[in-house]
Amino acid sequence: MIFSEARDLPGNVLMEQATKQDMLTHSTNGIEFFTESLDASRFHNPGYSAVFADYIRNKYSSQKLDLVMMFMSRNFALARDMSTALPTNIPSVCVVLNDMEVPSSAGRPFTGIFQRSDIGGTFKFIFRLQPETRQVVVIGGVSDNDQTTLARIAEMARTVDGVKFEFWTNAPVDEQCRDAQALTAGTVILLASVQRDSAGQPFYTSQVAQMLAPVAGVPVYVLGEGSIGTGALGGSVVNFEGLGVHAARLALLALNGAPLDRVPIEVRTNGTPMVDWRALQRWDIGESRLPVGCIVRYRPYSLWEEHRTLIMIVTTGLVVQAITIVALLVQRRWHIRAQAQIERQRTELTHVSRVSTVGQLASALTHELNQPLGAILRNAEAAELFLQCNPPNLDEVRAILTDIRRDDKRAGNVIDRMRALYQRRSLALGPLDLCELVHDTIALTRTDAAARQVKVIAETPPQLPVIQGDRVHLQQVLLNLVLNGMDAMTAVPKMARLLIIRASQTKNGNLQVTVTDRGNGIAPEDAARIFEPFYTTKLNGMGMGLAISQTIIEAHGGDIWVESKGTEGATFTFVLPQAGQARVKDGDLPDDI
Amino acid sequence: MVFVIDDDASFLKSLSRLLCAVGYTVRAFQSAGEFLEQISPEISGCVVADLQMPGMDGLKLQQALAKTVNPLPIIFLTGQGDIPSTVSAMRSGAEDFLTKRAPKEDLLAAIGRALERDKTERIKRSHLHDLRRRLDVLSERELEVLSHVVRGKMNKEIAADLNINERTVKLHRTNITRKLKVHSVAELTSFAAEAGLFKA
Repeated sequence: MIFSEARDLPGNVLMEQATKQDMLTHSTNGIEFFTESLDASRFHNPGYSAVFADYIRNKYSSQKLDLVMMFMSRNFALARDMSTALPTNIPSVCVVLNDMEVPSSAGRPFTGIFQRSDIGGTFKFIFRLQPETRQVVVIGGVSDNDQTTLARIAEMARTVDGVKFEFWTNAPVDEQCRDAQALTAGTVILLASVQRDSAGQPFYTSQVAQMLAPVAGVPVYVLGEGSIGTGALGGSVVNFEGLGVHAARLALLALNGAPLDRVPIEVRTNGTPMVDWRALQRWDIGESRLPVGCIVRYRPYSLWEEHRTLIMIVTTGLVVQAITIVALLVQRRWHIRAQAQIERQRTELTHVSRVSTVGQLASALTHELNQPLGAILRNAEAAELFLQCNPPNLDEVRAILTDIRRDDKRAGNVIDRMRALYQRRSLALGPLDLCELVHDTIALTRTDAAARQVKVIAETPPQLPVIQGDRVHLQQVLLNLVLNGMDAMTAVPKMARLLIIRASQTKNGNLQVTVTDRGNGIAPEDAARIFEPFYTTKLNGMGMGLAISQTIIEAHGGDIWVESKGTEGATFTFVLPQAGQARVKDGDLPDDI
Repeated sequence: MVFVIDDDASFLKSLSRLLCAVGYTVRAFQSAGEFLEQISPEISGCVVADLQMPGMDGLKLQQALAKTVNPLPIIFLTGQGDIPSTVSAMRSGAEDFLTKRAPKEDLLAAIGRALERDKTERIKRSHLHDLRRRLDVLSERELEVLSHVVRGKMNKEIAADLNINERTVKLHRTNITRKLKVHSVAELTSFAAEAGLFKA
């Protein structure tokens, strides 16, 4: 591998690496590479190339070379000088980086690639990034190569309308850099090729870029990848790696014995859009303007790009952790809430069991007692007055005393009923008239019914067979059903509040009592469970009433159930067997009835 | 006359008996509806009613009675007093609110107060009625002039407002004082105020 310029030029390094790697990858033979560099830009004494050719000849005379690859950015004539130094039968591949004409075949087996600058592509690139551009200053050198490139640019510039092209070639690089400082917006610099400036000083174009770009008052566009990173903005540049790979393919072809004189010399004018991210920032050009596929160099890696996997793992971990914590907290809160609810229900239950059992009827009983007691008091007061008359009105006093006795008995009855209701006791069966029971219950709930404005109707036949039953317990059942019925109608308009209690005998001789309300009915799912203990649909209900009722009725050998026609109220029915059929024994009932 | 209303026959009887013994004329009713049907507009007295009754309860009775031409004072009796109904009853002008077993003295005092109040309100009502009747003899135009006079307007202003002759205004004023049998503007103004004329 012979490089016409210094081996350590960025472009040469890239090409050499890409070439070697591609050849080693695609060849099964172990390939040994020797590399030489003429460094012709810096060393151009007369006769130097001839001495170098001698040196090559001498150095490799004992080696059997299979292929010569030449990478040149100078005059193609150099290749010819070199070829004289080596045996003529060695195939060679040339990679030429300049804009000169392709020479005619030199009568030896070689092929190669002539890589041109992508001038058209770079123009497009300029006007894409900076559409406001009105003037392009083209900076170039005076070597043959430089002149050729400038000529191609000038030719291409004629096809561009509305943009003025100015060519700066007749000044040393120093001066060009100084002049470039004064340029202002609307202008851009296109650094063409400077191998030698007007002062005769040799340069690499990338060197010039390094001097020019940092000081220029406007963005500097370039044609070679080697100039990217000098401060130049970018351009559609020659891709050295691609070039190296291409050269490697040709080399492999030659090594496999292909006749290279048949392989045509290829001329490439393609470029790869490339920018320096830092220059983009400096000139405040948005990345949105970059063409598709544009390579952005020197972009600082963001934390994300540098540690993407780590960040993702950590983030995922954190998210999972957070979700777990939240879930646990939510669960804990549910737990606490549920516990609080249970606690509250327990408190309510204790309260309700005390208040509802005693309190439900307390108001009714107070009223029931105050009526006879009030009457007794008024009668006694009247009697006093009658006795003070002269003569005392004894007839009236006698009538009063009769009334007082009657009211006293009435009050006593109320107390008996109340005591009976709250006493814990097992069943005490006795002859019982259900009609009487119905009317008694209505009397007991009369005040409640008045207060709740419920009309209560009893439908009882004149005569029903007497059954064996526990009066107090059955009264509790009926009372419970009546009070439930009234509760069910609190949301119903006052006019529609009607409760019907019917007592009758069924076909098979059993006795049946129904309590029908005009409330909103019972949902099927409630109806199924309504007799379960502690199941309630009432806000302050305890869920014991119906459960106890069921126990009592079943202890009598009877049955209790509910029917509800949608939202048109509900009917509770209990059936009791005729006298003599009850299967009850004392102690069948739980203690807490 | 004391009207006693209670659905509990026994209590009704005992209370009526006591009040008779004390010396009141008593009429007893077992329901509020019955009472409202039979009461006449002229009759004076007071009502002693049970608060909790089936059908029309005490508070309903109070409302109904207030709408009649004879709004007798009411004393409520109750088996057990509960605060909401007490407040409601007293706010709508119940004379008193007693439990059924309240001391006789309290009950009789309440009845005494109620009857006294009935008497004064009756006088007030009849006075008002009288005033209104006297006002009835005034013509439309005379009432109009009167309304200006009680606001303190001069004859000239009244004439201008009503677009009539000042002498006609004077004529109307003479007629008004003659018909209402008053002698001064001050008397006329207090008359109008008592009769509740031209408020606002």
